[in-house]
Amino acid sequence: MVLILGGLGAGKREFARLLGYEDSEMSGDPFDAAPVAVRPEEIFRRRPEEAADPSAPSTDADALFAALSAKKAVISCEVGSGVVPLSAAEHTFREETGRLQVRLAKEADCVVRVIAGIPAVIKGEMPCTRS
Amino acid sequence: MMMLVIGGASCGKSAYAEEAARKGPVPRYYLAAMRPYGEKGLRRVERHRALRAGKGFETIERYTDLASLTLPPPDTDGSGIKEKRGTVLLECVGNLTANEMFDEEGNMSDPADRVVRGVAHLKDLCRLLVVVTNNVGSDGVEYAESTRAYISSLGKINAALAAAADTVVEVVAGIPVLLKGELPV
Repeated sequence: MVLILGGLGAGKREFARLLGYEDSEMSGDPFDAAPVAVRPEEIFRRRPEEAADPSAPSTDADALFAALSAKKAVISCEVGSGVVPLSAAEHTFREETGRLQVRLAKEADCVVRVIAGIPAVIKGEMPCTRS
Repeated sequence: MMMLVIGGASCGKSAYAEEAARKGPVPRYYLAAMRPYGEKGLRRVERHRALRAGKGFETIERYTDLASLTLPPPDTDGSGIKEKRGTVLLECVGNLTANEMFDEEGNMSDPADRVVRGVAHLKDLCRLLVVVTNNVGSDGVEYAESTRAYISSLGKINAALAAAADTVVEVVAGIPVLLKGELPV
């Protein structure tokens, strides 16, 4: 699995396209069969709604991690470089996202951080194409 | 030669960019894109001017439309000047993008093309162009729609400028991290 990290608008999906993935293969639902998960951490934002709607996808961190480990690539947004949020929900979101990314990075064969459209490999070897 | 310097707030990117620009050929211009709002803004601009005083930069304030900018002749006797001006330090693309995106009435338009063309024009005007930009969008905050659009535009602009630049440097806690090309000696 290739983990692609970067800020909002940094060029993460563009990098996945460079690897050969089509937009139709990228999905915001980490539990579907798409080979590329896009911003799965967004699921952590849905907690209050989820409590009211049991049919919403699970936000169990272990289940999410297991699902993402089976992906070819995971695109995830860096979210920890702001001031500590005042709201508990925002705070929890950042924490869960950060922890998830650390786990994913350990599991990943390659971690690429995209900044200003430039991919920088921070673990493993730059993939030339989709695996 | 174009160098893009990117970093978060108060990471030392301005100081690094200024240092790099001071090594560039004369005449040197400091292109300030921050539109000063109110007295506080004006004081900030004055402070920045004072910081640059005596460092060999002529300050030009320009908030939008870099594509039609012309550089005034330098104060010096003109020696060393051929067809191009020496060095331009543009600070900063975050401000420029906001100025191009939201007009004074608060109307919003896509700034990417104007900003990217403007910087390309600057690159043609001088021998060394140093561009400072902001790295936003890594704070996980859910902003209102217009701010989200701004973050997304600035991200696209940064990627386009990085592609056009010979050198891209990220400054982290004052440390320059090379992302593309070679650091100037």
